[in-house]
Amino acid sequence: MRGHAHLIAAYHPGNSVVHRAPLRLKAAFLLVVAVVCFAGAGPFAASGALTAVVVLHFAAQLPAARLWKPIRLMLVFLLLIGAYQFWQSGPLTAWRILAGILATVLAANILTATTPVDRLLDGLARLVAPLRRFGADPERFALTVSLMLRSIPFIIGAFDDVRDAARARGLERNLRARTLPVMICTVAYARQTGEALAARGLGEAEE
Amino acid sequence: MNRIQLDAASVLLPAADGTDRQILRPTTLDLTEQRIAVIGANGSGKSTLLRLVNGLLLPSAGTVTVNGLDTARDGRAVRRQVGFVFTDPLSQLVMPTPLEDLELSLRRLYPSGSKRRTAAMDILDGFGLAPLAQNSIYELSGGERQLVALASVLAVRPGVLVLDEPSTLLDLRNTRLLRERLAGLPQQLLISTHDLELAQDCTRALVIGDGGVVFDGPPADAVARYHQLAR
Repeated sequence: MRGHAHLIAAYHPGNSVVHRAPLRLKAAFLLVVAVVCFAGAGPFAASGALTAVVVLHFAAQLPAARLWKPIRLMLVFLLLIGAYQFWQSGPLTAWRILAGILATVLAANILTATTPVDRLLDGLARLVAPLRRFGADPERFALTVSLMLRSIPFIIGAFDDVRDAARARGLERNLRARTLPVMICTVAYARQTGEALAARGLGEAEE
Repeated sequence: MNRIQLDAASVLLPAADGTDRQILRPTTLDLTEQRIAVIGANGSGKSTLLRLVNGLLLPSAGTVTVNGLDTARDGRAVRRQVGFVFTDPLSQLVMPTPLEDLELSLRRLYPSGSKRRTAAMDILDGFGLAPLAQNSIYELSGGERQLVALASVLAVRPGVLVLDEPSTLLDLRNTRLLRERLAGLPQQLLISTHDLELAQDCTRALVIGDGGVVFDGPPADAVARYHQLAR
């Protein structure tokens, strides 16, 4: 179950200029893309951001499949959002919003694909370190975020597996048969992850 | 020397009909040997007994202590002393590659990222896994995964290692490799297993049946008792 979507949000080893770039630069790029796309910029700015992200994707020597996979997963939502915006506000607004969503998701994809989880954890822990004086535990915060990222492929994989299992029994149109097992698997996965950390004495608050 | 003590520890879990079901009867044990095997039929309570030792499960009554630390009161300290290896390594590995999983284990010991990576690679190298460091854990064989899981737990330097049927999913060759690896470890080992050869490697063996210890003694005698029970 867990293996199906493991290429999403996973690190893709490499030695490209993007892989070697500092984490803060990649995070800043993601922030700029999100701001450009959603802070009232026009369709041309969103198109520019999307182009830049696609160029960066290939500069990072990431496979084309890795570009397509998140789009495929969002396709239904993108079509619904696009159709609604086209109907309500016209083609330019529809394109601006779709290009913005795609650019932001793909920029986040580049960040996780070119940064090992360990470096991501270090970066997150540094980011939250100033909050230590208010009682925050940066290591636990970083671990929580990283586990959240790791759980995305699992949940996607669970949806795929449950869909296949439902289809094999002719239940592909049964909403209960397609969602309930995913919820049960997800809860079981959360418990299993907690036990895996406890098995190594990890993830507990420092004294 | 490590010391695991159970003092009338029992486990009750709620059953579907609303009553409590006894999974482990009140059990008193004093485990100081370096290699202890736990054998018994499926569902007999072996895993329950093991999970009590590092606080993954707390006793419903009685106490469990490791080197004087109570699993209920000092859970965090106990878990830092007692590593636990699951039957299925995929339940154990949290990160997508062996290297990242080792680095996760080493975060507390090595605050510096570069030193942590070097230490992780050294450990993987010691297990003969360095060439697989960047592979997805899903691309590894069952034996390789079990070794990564073992390495990840050992990386936090536990004094006691609890292994819940570590060879159940392994073929003959990987079982032999695992046995060799375990034989060389300095930790106190508590191993639940259906592999009676692995049990014979130990110095003491417990036979679990019907939620309680039905035999406690030398492994050869324990295996004979287990055969009797299985008839």
